[in-house]
Amino acid sequence: MAKLTSEQAKRLSDDFFFLGMAIGDFRYENWGKLTLEENKELSDMQAAILRCGEDILAYSTTLVMDEVAESLAKISAVTAEIRNTIKKLETVQKGLDTASAILILGAAILNRDPMGIGNSIKDLFTVWKGPLE
Amino acid sequence: MVFSRLCRVGVSLVSVLSLSFGLLGCVNLKAVRDFSGSSLSGIKSFEQLGYTFEDHCVDRCAYEAIRKFEFNRVLDCDCGLYLEADSVMVSMYQVVGGYFEALGHLAQNELTEFSTEGLVTSLTAEELGPLTVDANMAGAYSSISNLMLRSTTDFYRRRKIAAYIEEANAPLQVLLEAFQKTTRENLKGELRFKKERLYAYYMDMKMNNTLQSDYEKGKAATDYYQTLGEIEKKEKQMELFADALLEIAKGHQELYDKRDKLVAKDLALAMLGYSGQVKILLSEFNKLKP
Repeated sequence: MAKLTSEQAKRLSDDFFFLGMAIGDFRYENWGKLTLEENKELSDMQAAILRCGEDILAYSTTLVMDEVAESLAKISAVTAEIRNTIKKLETVQKGLDTASAILILGAAILNRDPMGIGNSIKDLFTVWKGPLE
Repeated sequence: MVFSRLCRVGVSLVSVLSLSFGLLGCVNLKAVRDFSGSSLSGIKSFEQLGYTFEDHCVDRCAYEAIRKFEFNRVLDCDCGLYLEADSVMVSMYQVVGGYFEALGHLAQNELTEFSTEGLVTSLTAEELGPLTVDANMAGAYSSISNLMLRSTTDFYRRRKIAAYIEEANAPLQVLLEAFQKTTRENLKGELRFKKERLYAYYMDMKMNNTLQSDYEKGKAATDYYQTLGEIEKKEKQMELFADALLEIAKGHQELYDKRDKLVAKDLALAMLGYSGQVKILLSEFNKLKP
């Protein structure tokens, strides 16, 4: 048997809605002619039909997943690629920061300043090991 | 002498380059950035709808208990199917929202506005010892390198953005169409059942003559129309949200159609239209918030 599509399920839900509505109208139009039991039975039936229509509508939504699964996967993949590109761009900033740190280290070496060399190496290490974001 | 001449050349080069890159490079990214921003705001209003499939299930469950005059210590509702329906909506919301967030981030200027402060400081630092570099010269050098970096990365970004828009458009159109339809027809469709149940509840009350005094009758009618009004407000919000999704889809299609002309001025104008439309819908949506 062919699988129900979300669109077909939605149409079924519509049918249940209008059926439930029609039963309600029938009850109110024939209120005086119906016995208490008949009225209660019809009322329960109306509630059950409406409930069924709501469930089918929720079910129709779950069927959408089968129809969009591929698109969801594709967009997720593109988004991951974009994020990777962003990371690459952020590494340019890291490169600049590193270059600055190297320059300071070079100056410290030129000045034969052991304390400065130690601090610059520490700074360089921090910049290089620091997070990208 | 040589330094000061170099400095002057550097400064004029910076001015010329600034002008030309400024004219060529910004429009496209701004259009993408603005459109992504308003799209993301539009998509995020999903969280403010304040009504889920699960809410609907719990409401119905409570109504059934009220109708049957049943009292339970805990309202026991079987909402598995409704939770599953919610998870479909949330998946679409997260994936579409994540895409626009990433696209907008990639088009952000901050990404290529690299800070060269550190470079200037280190170039002019006293620790450079015997070699002294004029502060103007260092500034000019850093501006040029920043500009060159920016122009190459902007070009890289434009190329990348065009490629991503091309790759994403078809699946995005499918998702946005499904998202707007499930909101407009399924989630909002559930409210139609809620209204019918509400009608039946009050009509039964009226037909059974359970209300005696004019006050009770008036109160019941007031309650009915007040609840009906609240449901209709929710319906309107869902409609506006779905309309915003349609505008976003149209805007992305425009980006896709003109992806090779991302610097074109008319693209910027067209995107401004779509962004504006999403913002208008969003503002209408916010007016309906309780």
